Amino acid sequence: MNDAPAVAVRNVSKAFGSFVALDNISLEVGACRFVSIVGPSGCGKSTLLNMIAGLSLPSEGQIEVFGHPLAGINRRASYMFQRDALLPWKTVLANIQFGLRLRGYGRERSLEEAQAWVRRIGLDGFGNHYPYQLSGGMRKRVAIAQCWTVKPDLVLMDEPFSALDVHTRLRMEGEILTLSSSSKATVIFVTHDLEEAIALSDEVFLLSASPRTRIVGRYSIDLPKPRNLIDIKSDLEFQNLYRTIWRDLRKEVLKDDAGTHS
Amino acid sequence: MPGHTPKKSRIVILQLLLAVAMLGTWEYCSASKIVDPFFFSRPSEIALRVGHWAATGFIWPHLLTTLLETVLSFFIGSCFGSVFGFALGTLPTAAALLDPYIRVGNALPRVVLAPIFLLWFGLGIWSKVALGVTVVFFIVFFNTFRGIREVDSLLIDNARMLGASRRQVARHVLIPSALTWIFSSLHISVGMAIVAVVVGEYLGASKGVGYLIAQAEGVFDTTGMFAGMAVLALTVLLIGAIVGWAERRMLRWKPPQASNAPDRIPPE
Repeated sequence: MNDAPAVAVRNVSKAFGSFVALDNISLEVGACRFVSIVGPSGCGKSTLLNMIAGLSLPSEGQIEVFGHPLAGINRRASYMFQRDALLPWKTVLANIQFGLRLRGYGRERSLEEAQAWVRRIGLDGFGNHYPYQLSGGMRKRVAIAQCWTVKPDLVLMDEPFSALDVHTRLRMEGEILTLSSSSKATVIFVTHDLEEAIALSDEVFLLSASPRTRIVGRYSIDLPKPRNLIDIKSDLEFQNLYRTIWRDLRKEVLKDDAGTHS
Repeated sequence: MPGHTPKKSRIVILQLLLAVAMLGTWEYCSASKIVDPFFFSRPSEIALRVGHWAATGFIWPHLLTTLLETVLSFFIGSCFGSVFGFALGTLPTAAALLDPYIRVGNALPRVVLAPIFLLWFGLGIWSKVALGVTVVFFIVFFNTFRGIREVDSLLIDNARMLGASRRQVARHVLIPSALTWIFSSLHISVGMAIVAVVVGEYLGASKGVGYLIAQAEGVFDTTGMFAGMAVLALTVLLIGAIVGWAERRMLRWKPPQASNAPDRIPPE
C-alpha cells in the first residue's frame, strides 16, 4: 500500500441539480507532494477540495485516499479553510489543542503540545487571547497550528491566504513550505494565484472555466528546494513556467469572461 | 461631534443632577398643590415609606417572595426552553411540525394565563412561577433555537475535519453557540420574569411586591403604590447589574461592542 497515491480522484463529476460543476475529473497526488490546483474563480476548486475532504459526495466517480476508497469524512486529512474557522469562544491554546482533545489526548499532553506550537508560530504571550483579539495574520497562524497539531498525512488548503496583505502572506507561505517539507505531509493547495501556486508546489493542476469544469493542464514544477519565496519570482525558470501556465490559464479566464457577459 | 466621548464621571454627575431636578419638580408641584398630592404623592413621603418598610423589616418577606418566584421561573423556564430549543434546533422535522403550535403559544398574551394559573396552582408562589416560566421559556427557547440553527456551518465542518463526532460537535460548537444567544438575552428574560411575577402577584396573592401595590391601591394609598414601584425599580436595577456582570464574564470571548472600548488588537 506504500506506493499508493495520497489522493486519487477517479472520473469524479459533481452536479448541483442541473448545473454540472465538475465534469469527469481524474487526478493523482503522490504521497509527500505539494500540489496546487489553479483555475479561474468559481470554477469548482473548492468543490473538488470538499469532496477530497469527505465533506461532500461526488455525484459520480470515486476518490481514494492512500489506496482506500473514501467514505465519510477523510480521517487522514486536515483542512485549512479560506474563511476563519477558529472557534471564537476558545482561546488560542484551546483552539490549537482542539483536534488533539477531540482525538482523546489527555489534558496535559495536549496543552504541552499546544504551548510548543504557540512558540513555534511566534505567538508567545497570546495563548490565552481570544481570536477577536488577534490580527488576521495571527489568526491564520493559529489555524495553521490547529491543522498541523493532529499530524495529518494530508493537508487540504482552500485559498487560505487570499485575505491577507502581501507581506503577511509571503511569511505564511514560507511557514507552510517549512512545515510541509519537515512533516512529510501531502499538501493539496487550492488557489487562483498562479505565482503562489508555482512558488510553493511540486506540481500544478489547471482547471477549466465553469461550468463543466475539467482538468486542462498538469505541470511539473522542478524548481530546486528549499525555495526562497522572495527571490524565486525573479528566477528565469520560474518566469518560463509562469508564462507557459499563464497562457493556458488566460484562455480559461477569458472564456469565463465571455461566458458571464454573453 | 463624533469622536468626542465624555468622561464617565461627568456623565454620572449629570445623571444625578437630572434625577434631582425631576424629583425636585415633582416634590415642588406636590407641595404647592399644583398637582393633587392625593393622586401623585411626594418623593419625600415615598422615600420615608420605603425607609420605614426597610427599617421595620416589613418589606423583606415580600421582596424575598418576589425574588424567589423570579429566580424559580427563570431557572425552570431556562431549563425547559434550552432543552426544547436544542431538540428542535437539531431536528428540523420536529421543528416544522411544531412550528404553528409554538407560534400560537407565543402569540398568546401571557397575562390572560394568570387567572387560570391561579385556579390551578392557588394563591401561593407556584401560580406566579408558572406565569414567569411561560414568559422565560419562549425567550430562551427561541434564542437556543436560533443559536443552533444559525451557527456557521464552517465551524461545524472544521470541527468534523479535526475529528469531532456528532456529540463532540454539539458540545464544542452547537451548545456554545446557543449559550451565546441565551446569555445575550439574559437581560430580557430576567426582566420579563420579574414583570410576569409581579403581574401575577398583583392579580392574586398573599405576599410579594405586586401584592403590596395591589393592597395600597385598594385603600387609595398612592404613597404605598409608588413606594412599591420604587422598591421594584431598585431591585430590577440591582439584578440588571448582576446579570450584566455575569454576561460579561460568560461572553469574555466576544469583542466589546462599545465604540469607546480600548483597542486590544496587538501590533503584528
